[in-house]
Amino acid sequence: MTSANRKCSAVTGSARKIKDNVADWHNLMLRWEKLNEVGFCVAANIVNIKLSRNKQQQLVDESSSSSSSSSPPALELQDECSKLHDIVVKMVAIVTKMEHLMTSQRGIRELEEFQFGPEGRTSPLFHTWSTEQFESSSGFLWEAFSQELKLKQAVLQEVAHTTDPDLDMVFLSCWLHQPYTPPQTRQNLEALLLETGHRPL
Amino acid sequence: MSKPEVSSVHQALRKGFKTVESNQQVWRSVLAECDPLMVSLGNLAEQSRALSRIHIANTPLRHFPDLEERLGFKLSLATDTVLLRLHEKMSSLQSVRDAISNQVVLVVQLYEQNTDSLDVLTVTERSPITPSIADMLEWLQDAERHYRQQFLKRKTLLQMLRADNLSLLESAPNRWKSLESPSAEDGITDSLCKVSFFVDSE
Repeated sequence: MTSANRKCSAVTGSARKIKDNVADWHNLMLRWEKLNEVGFCVAANIVNIKLSRNKQQQLVDESSSSSSSSSPPALELQDECSKLHDIVVKMVAIVTKMEHLMTSQRGIRELEEFQFGPEGRTSPLFHTWSTEQFESSSGFLWEAFSQELKLKQAVLQEVAHTTDPDLDMVFLSCWLHQPYTPPQTRQNLEALLLETGHRPL
Repeated sequence: MSKPEVSSVHQALRKGFKTVESNQQVWRSVLAECDPLMVSLGNLAEQSRALSRIHIANTPLRHFPDLEERLGFKLSLATDTVLLRLHEKMSSLQSVRDAISNQVVLVVQLYEQNTDSLDVLTVTERSPITPSIADMLEWLQDAERHYRQQFLKRKTLLQMLRADNLSLLESAPNRWKSLESPSAEDGITDSLCKVSFFVDSE
């Protein structure tokens, strides 16, 4: 165990709280990524079911037969949609927890203002960051994920109802590539982990 | 067969074929690793194409700010990552090409230095287990040329690709596949079989 580790394991008060919050950020983002992967497979299934149903429909139209047995794919589609719904519900829970982390971070900053005056504390809690920087980092992460969540919810609502294959494709790539979490979110997390000593410098 | 020049050329030929044999495996495995990368390159191009075809303003996603730019950015980022990994694979292919070329150049040089003492009869003399020097030189040079050209073609194809040139990216997987030349590969494997007794007869 290095001296830095020992020092951090004995931290108390604001530093303890911030360090735990950062660990929570890490774990929440990890869970988000896992859910994202599972969700992508489900969303891709939905699109594939629609595709094969469209083909069947065309065949049925061409042969102009009367009663088509479209119930199995419809059931399957319903099944996958509720799976995707469950995943989004879990993502909502994650973003709610992220919001708690952000408000907790804001609370720490306000507490320090109360303790040390409007300038905040004079010496940093860890290496160099001020309490405000932790707050703005948390805010940045939370904003990225809450916007991403809105996009997921829109995809969940629409993905089973579109008829345009291009739009299907865009839904899928929105889900997979997560346009509202730019590379900076990852860098932000790494910076938090480094500053609080979770990652060795 | 007792001439010292013959045995030194034979020795160099053995080394050359051993180099070809071991590097042929490396070449195949590196190319196999490129296949999934090429597939994802094609997928990413397909996604970018779909994004360029739809008008976000006419879709349920119209309320999301800068969605087209942001998704486009993420897609080109992912494309760049795949291209980077493909370029890394190219350097493995380059080292295969270099290893084979260097070895074959050495053999040819050695042969040219000794042409005075290697007359036509010696060069074309062969036995049941030892093909003639002329044949073996030809096979080695064929193999060398094959890997040199293959590397150049694949490298050129990759160097033309840019994350912002969709039509090239879309056609890349097929063109990559069309560069395969199983007949040349089979020819090299054939010649390796023909020299297997010779190589083992040290």
